Amino acid sequence: MDKTMENLKVAKEAWENARAKYVDKLKEKENLSGIPVKTVYTPEDVEGLDLGGMPGVYPFTRGLYPDGYALTPWMQQMVFGYGTVDETRKKMEELVSLGMEGHFGNKVFNIVFDIPSMYGIDSDHPEAEGNVGQCGVTLCTVEDYDQLIEGWDLKTTNFSLITGDNCLPALALISAAAIRRGEGFEALRGNSMNWYPRTAVQDIPSWEPENGYALITELIRFCSNNIRGWNTANIFMYGLSEAGATPLQELAYGMSWGKSVIDAGLKAGLEPDAFIGRLGFQIGCQSNFFEEIAKFRAVRKMWAKITRDAGCTKPHNMHARFHCHTSGNVLTAQEPLNNTARVTMQVMAAVMGGAQSIHACSYDESIGIPTELSHRTALRTQQIMMYESGLRDVADPLAGSYYVECLTDQMEQAAWQIFNDLEARGGYQQGLADGSIKRAIDQNAYMTKQKIKSGKLPVVGVNKFNLNKKADYEPFRVDYSLERKAIERLNAFRAKRSQKDVDQSLAAVKNACLAFRDGRSELMPVLIDAALKGATNGEMCEVMRGVFGWVVTE
Amino acid sequence: MSERHIKVLVAKKKIDVHGRGSKLIAQELRDAGMEVVYFRFGTVEDIVNAVVQEDVDVLALSIFTSGHLSITRKLVPALREAGVKDLLLIMGGCIPEVDFEPLKAIGAHEVFSPGLPGEVVADYIRQHVDTASLEETEKAAPSAAVQ
Repeated sequence: MDKTMENLKVAKEAWENARAKYVDKLKEKENLSGIPVKTVYTPEDVEGLDLGGMPGVYPFTRGLYPDGYALTPWMQQMVFGYGTVDETRKKMEELVSLGMEGHFGNKVFNIVFDIPSMYGIDSDHPEAEGNVGQCGVTLCTVEDYDQLIEGWDLKTTNFSLITGDNCLPALALISAAAIRRGEGFEALRGNSMNWYPRTAVQDIPSWEPENGYALITELIRFCSNNIRGWNTANIFMYGLSEAGATPLQELAYGMSWGKSVIDAGLKAGLEPDAFIGRLGFQIGCQSNFFEEIAKFRAVRKMWAKITRDAGCTKPHNMHARFHCHTSGNVLTAQEPLNNTARVTMQVMAAVMGGAQSIHACSYDESIGIPTELSHRTALRTQQIMMYESGLRDVADPLAGSYYVECLTDQMEQAAWQIFNDLEARGGYQQGLADGSIKRAIDQNAYMTKQKIKSGKLPVVGVNKFNLNKKADYEPFRVDYSLERKAIERLNAFRAKRSQKDVDQSLAAVKNACLAFRDGRSELMPVLIDAALKGATNGEMCEVMRGVFGWVVTE
Repeated sequence: MSERHIKVLVAKKKIDVHGRGSKLIAQELRDAGMEVVYFRFGTVEDIVNAVVQEDVDVLALSIFTSGHLSITRKLVPALREAGVKDLLLIMGGCIPEVDFEPLKAIGAHEVFSPGLPGEVVADYIRQHVDTASLEETEKAAPSAAVQ
């Protein structure tokens, strides 16, 4: 027995004596994932674990890069976007002036579309009323995209497009804008969400599963061959978390989601090293600090194994690059400023967990659209963490902590169990189609609410120390006149395009969709051509909905 | 004594991905013994049709991503026009509290903050379902509506 274990044995006896009087009264605790948490962890808890890893080395538990954040601090990717592209351009410039930047000083724009654009209807659609430009920017036409990218150097600017099922048309429209600028779409850098599997938990209609997966693969295939600097899919663990998943469920189903995208790509004949490295993650971060850090570490370790097993040979293709979106669902409408404490803690967990990119929520997101002040404060929270705290100086600073190492392993093992069970039943795509993922996560959302109601899960200002006072908080207002402005812009665009060209190009899209559904054709080039001819986001999506089905999985 | 049967339409915008809150409220109202129809609407007309066809006692409108004022401003007159009179109209989702009074001025009977226990909503429904009316009152004058 080595000296440490010898000392531990002696110390543990004394420790047991010291707590003997009250130990029976201690309540059993568990984290949000249901894993029991002890009050003290010791070397015994990490016995048998391999703690000899280094950052930047497979399986990357300790981080993707050998020196952590020394060369590449995380990217500050604040979600933004509202009104028409006019208003959103102003916000882009403001965020750049506030110092928001990505790797090596690159610009990073994490642009959220309004829900009509995401859904794939234009601003003048009757079902868009009231939502145009409200919780994101309305982007319908190639001219909107021209203006979005205008003046930004495509080689040093990242456009992360937070789309919905308009993902392929949105990529076609930004590609068309790059072509119109004379640079070609090959130069584009950025990110497609390409996150059809989110419909396993989100409350909207979407493609029939088989078509949904085929469309994911089509975007990946096109970018792998043509837009090499583009990140092709976002494994949206945050969406699972917000729908109600525990951190453990988020981890397990997230890995399973990623595996399903890999499987679809391999089935379509793509080479592992040619596409897997461009898949990325967006992960949530709730309030249990160490549990989240353990989750982030386990993500990297599990993904490294999954990608290597899938045939990746280059280490960087085994990287789980992740963007952390601090949790929206834990923010309270009561005493909104309290949320800055929650967000600060979550950003700390993301940084100590080694995130590549972070969105910090604004303190008023539980009330409405963030104000300029709350949004800036959230950005500043990241910047204070980056420049003042020293948190980024050391890679994986919690490595070797008995608790964090033990918990990382416990989260990983428990996640493999859920993962393997689902794989045995047909994998994520099957779980999406049969509703089992939705049921498991909905059930936890329900349990979480029960725990908040009973007080078992304390929430300050809500079930603990509630002031019972109305919060007369004035959120940011997007003027409803912007809806009229958006429709006028759209009408003006439609008036000057050649309707004949548009009709022909949409007919070509329909034929291409039909052929694609039967496995005989490419889709992206036809969509880009339609975008160049003036077809809008909504028009392309409408054709696609007609061919690929439009269903709610329940 | 058997409780009065209460039928609720939980209406949530179809194009919005956010469904956690509306689904939870639907479940909690079912737990409270009510019959709940969960409905994803496209337009205000869809809501009116569903209210009429399902013949519900309560319309629980959930709005998460803005548009609550403009929708309600269209919805209330459209319901009246369709002859819906004794309906309890409640709202929830992610609605700023400063908009609660303007929404009530338009015709909503009550607006709830996010995250409230479903029991609070169920109690409110039981207390008001038999007396609720959508008939116009002085305070529901359209000019009182604030954007």
